[in-house]
Amino acid sequence: MIKLLLRKCLQGLMMILIVSAVTFALLGFAGGDALTQLRDNPQISQSTIERLRSVYGLDQPLPVRYFRWLSGAVTGDLGESTYFRAPVSGLVWARSVSTFLLGTAAFGIALMISVPLSLIGARYNTKTSAAFINFLILVTASTPRIVLALVGLAISVRLTASALNSSSAVLFWLGALALSAPLISALLAQFHGELQQTMREDFIKLARAKGLSDGTVILRHAIRPALNPALTIAGLSFGAVLGGSVIVESVLGRQGLGTLMVTAVRGRDLPLVMGIVLFTSTAVWLGNAVAELLQAINDKRIRDLGF
Amino acid sequence: MNEHLSRDGFNSRRTDRVAVFGWLVIALFALAAVFAGFLAPYDHSAQSRSEPSAPATRIHFSSLTPIIYARRIEDPLRRTYTEDTSVAFPLGLFVRGYSYKLLGILETDVHLFGVRSTSGNAPRINLLGTDQLGRDRFSRLLYAIRFSFIVALIGVLVACLVGILIGGVSGYAGRLVDTFLMGVTDAMLALPTLILILGVRAAFPLELPMTRAALLLLLIFALTGWAEMARLTCGLVRSFRKREFVVAAVALGVSETRVLFRHILPNILPSLRTRALLLLPTFLLAEVALSYLGVGLQEPEPSLGNMLTAASDLDLLRSQPFSVLAPALAVLLFTLGVRLIGRSERA
Repeated sequence: MIKLLLRKCLQGLMMILIVSAVTFALLGFAGGDALTQLRDNPQISQSTIERLRSVYGLDQPLPVRYFRWLSGAVTGDLGESTYFRAPVSGLVWARSVSTFLLGTAAFGIALMISVPLSLIGARYNTKTSAAFINFLILVTASTPRIVLALVGLAISVRLTASALNSSSAVLFWLGALALSAPLISALLAQFHGELQQTMREDFIKLARAKGLSDGTVILRHAIRPALNPALTIAGLSFGAVLGGSVIVESVLGRQGLGTLMVTAVRGRDLPLVMGIVLFTSTAVWLGNAVAELLQAINDKRIRDLGF
Repeated sequence: MNEHLSRDGFNSRRTDRVAVFGWLVIALFALAAVFAGFLAPYDHSAQSRSEPSAPATRIHFSSLTPIIYARRIEDPLRRTYTEDTSVAFPLGLFVRGYSYKLLGILETDVHLFGVRSTSGNAPRINLLGTDQLGRDRFSRLLYAIRFSFIVALIGVLVACLVGILIGGVSGYAGRLVDTFLMGVTDAMLALPTLILILGVRAAFPLELPMTRAALLLLLIFALTGWAEMARLTCGLVRSFRKREFVVAAVALGVSETRVLFRHILPNILPSLRTRALLLLPTFLLAEVALSYLGVGLQEPEPSLGNMLTAASDLDLLRSQPFSVLAPALAVLLFTLGVRLIGRSERA
């Protein structure tokens, strides 16, 4: 178990290092920073810009800047946002709360829909139930989040009397719903398929032969082996939720991590961009690690192997 | 066994019909992309300042001829229009309008439909209304589909080319490359792609002209799409290497490149094609997202994404939801169509 944890941590550290280094290098090579735009301003002389560059450490070579940024990042100092004139870490933390809530709600919705449906599909394995589940998978997989969010917005605007008055709670659940669509399809496809397969296993036949009721067979025997692949998918979906939040938040006008990223990109605020990339990749790694830990708890074989 | 066969037969017939719908949608998109100039009644950037944010033109019938009336803005704040029913303007097919290049070579000014009138102040027919500058939304939608579709298509081709080359070679070469590819694709799968794309986007100037925006989008697509293709190819090549006919070819002394490209590649192509097809809506959506956020293709060029920014005007969204969200519906139709094809090919 300890070995597994250590391995996960090491993997995550590697991934975060690589992602941040690549992003940093790309941003560095492309040239252009927050001071580029100042060049067009006739009021600011070349020497002022040079002085500012050395103040912000932008005249150092790329690796030096990366390590300086990295050593700051370790202590939680991600530099200062050039757009907001505020520490990046504070901005990211403040905005991430809203995105976290939205993502949690989306996960909640996806679980509430896909788990019961899969269980029902396993219990009453009829043509209609399978057809309905397949239809739902298809629809949720092929409806883009931007379309869902926009259509939801249009409906809510149409239903409420005043456009600006549509309450934030409605918009919040709309966003969560839009964000949950791809999750529903992924979880449902995985969990439903896995359950169907497990139901054909010999140990299920044995449990049935012992005279256990269908409900007990599913809840006590079938669910555990079917859970692990679904957990993997759930862990992998963390990134999808964070990526999707960019669109959903922009459409519904929520102040979250996604909209912060858009502001950062449009304002060419490189420290902020780096901070958000670092934060999101850490969050994704954390999600994966938690999912894998849960799998280890669920399945003793993984625990013992410590793979 | 017998029952199994017949059931599969039934399924494949039904899924075939579903796939036909999907192919139809793609064909429609391709037609719109190729013949945008012919299908669009107006130039996508031609403004009609007296008609901002107008709703769709109402088509009347007088003795079976479709006609439209000129309209005048009544309340500029609430954007209501009144029709002037004194003069009727008949609609017609193959009407002459602004000139464009058919298929990029033939200069012509014939359009599929339009207002048949010689007078200079004839009203314009706006099937989806106009945007805030009075530009015809329907024409813009067609040009937007052209841009988005072509960019996504070329993006898929580039990503496939890179991915298949790398995947094929590494599937042949060995374990180390494979482990690396697995790592990269897993990371790609797990990481928030849109945030990474935006991160890469931040490195380039915000305002880009059309061709450079298209190139940037292609670069982003290739960067984010190749790994998945490479991994699939790698796995398939590896499994085919042990097949008898490949072993036989190797035993006959056929060169490695020939084995890879003449013996293995044709066999794995169908699986690769399905995956490539599924990349198409992914890229289309990435373009829509970037343009919607204002960092993809920018005004005045139309793209599916930047047309959707009109939806941020909530009053407009309420009064003309269908016209404003038409690009979103086009995207939805496209993703659904491709998914249906992908599903029937997998089955």
